[in-house]
Amino acid sequence: MFKKLAKIFLVLLVLFFIAKPAFAQKKQVNPVRESELSNGVNVYFFWGEGCPHCVHEKPFLEELKNKYPEVKVYDFEVWNSADNRKLLIEVGKKLNTNVSAVPFTVIGEKYVSGWLNEQTTGDAIENAVECVLKDGCRDVVGEVLVSQQPQPQKEEPCECEEEQKLAIPVKISLPLIGEINTKNLSLPLLTVILGGLDGFNPCAMWTLLFLISLLLGMKDKKRRWILGTAFIVASALVYFLFMAAWLNLLLFVGFIVWVRILIGLVALGGGGYNLKEFFTNKDSGCKVTGDEKRQAVFEKLKNITHQKQFLIALGGIIVLAFAVNLVELICSAGLPVIFTQVLTLSDLPQWQYYLYMLLYIFFFMLDDLFIFFTAMLTLEMTGISTKYSRISHLVGGILMVIMGLLLIFKPELLMFG
Amino acid sequence: MKVLKFGAVWCSGCLVMKPRWQEIGKEHPWLKTEYYDYDKDKEMVNKYNIDKNLPTFVFLDKDGEEFLRLHGEPSKDKLVKIVLENKDK
Repeated sequence: MFKKLAKIFLVLLVLFFIAKPAFAQKKQVNPVRESELSNGVNVYFFWGEGCPHCVHEKPFLEELKNKYPEVKVYDFEVWNSADNRKLLIEVGKKLNTNVSAVPFTVIGEKYVSGWLNEQTTGDAIENAVECVLKDGCRDVVGEVLVSQQPQPQKEEPCECEEEQKLAIPVKISLPLIGEINTKNLSLPLLTVILGGLDGFNPCAMWTLLFLISLLLGMKDKKRRWILGTAFIVASALVYFLFMAAWLNLLLFVGFIVWVRILIGLVALGGGGYNLKEFFTNKDSGCKVTGDEKRQAVFEKLKNITHQKQFLIALGGIIVLAFAVNLVELICSAGLPVIFTQVLTLSDLPQWQYYLYMLLYIFFFMLDDLFIFFTAMLTLEMTGISTKYSRISHLVGGILMVIMGLLLIFKPELLMFG
Repeated sequence: MKVLKFGAVWCSGCLVMKPRWQEIGKEHPWLKTEYYDYDKDKEMVNKYNIDKNLPTFVFLDKDGEEFLRLHGEPSKDKLVKIVLENKDK
């Protein structure tokens, strides 16, 4: 069954890359031509359909136009238009910044990323407008738009450096630095809950339990610790690599509506499966399935741990951890894929994406770590009760259904930061 | 009566049940129990048709006839109650 699912996934992936240009062609929007660019202050507003911060910025820009007759606002919807998305990336390069979210507003050489409120982000935009009015600046977006016939550039660099520093509102609302609002707390909380739910499956830790049973039979304490730790670290690494690759794929393909919808459907499917498990599998305990696969892994683990050469044993355990976890991952990639999608919807610096993934993996591995350290310290095997598995299925199922619906219909509610 | 306990080294719930049965054994030394590993004792596993969830506990009367089967992690109280109620079976 999983092979079939993997095949369907691959076909969808191929279709996605084939269909992507066609979808992109559908909604080509190119609202500004060189001749249409005003000589006053051009404000370029990059936004996304369904993005709540963008909706809040719009009325502010309307007022700005009334207050400054020289201001002309050009807007570019980037989630539905591949052309506008390309333009945004190009502008980001010109401005030497990594544009990861909308709204993104460019005024001359200055840019404002995100929207908080009129007092912070709004003020930064107005300062930038006044600066351009006072000193005149390059029109970076205008240059990109008419890059075939570049406009004459003003030689003097733009001043008002102080205002430029203020014009990065994302920094104002960073957790720990600025005011902490509920949204800043929501993402870590969601990370902990999803990681914990994903990891809480006592029946899935069979490889680790078998390995521990073999390790406890060893006399060499050092070898016991190193082999066990290597297995745990390699397992976490597989997960991290998968999530990082998926994150980068999502960031690379950009804000494509139907990728988000596809992942929303995956979430609904996963949620449905979990709820079905809750209602149909009322016994606690672990289902006995995959006898042959389990026996094969057992034999390999035995051979590896009994290797006299320590380095061969170490290498073997790492390879086996990769292989076993990769197979497990294909079967249970739902939650990490959904979590990664939520991460990309949030406006975060690159390093924070990875930090959140590490937090997720830590909570994912928490039960494994508990079992391993308890066994190594007490030299006795401990199990984690399976009676909470049903509750985990119920909570996980409900959460996945909610997230699936939000991803499809109200993604703005999943945009944190 | 006798209890057959089916478990496996990879089964987390079986590890949880191990000390629970040990306590019951200490408190009721007359109780006979036998443990079978799902992967090693295939003959018994097939005989009692263990193919659902682990751990599985099969309760036999003095004639060797099965009168109850439990899966998962029953509480100690529940097990003790069953054991005492069926002591003479």
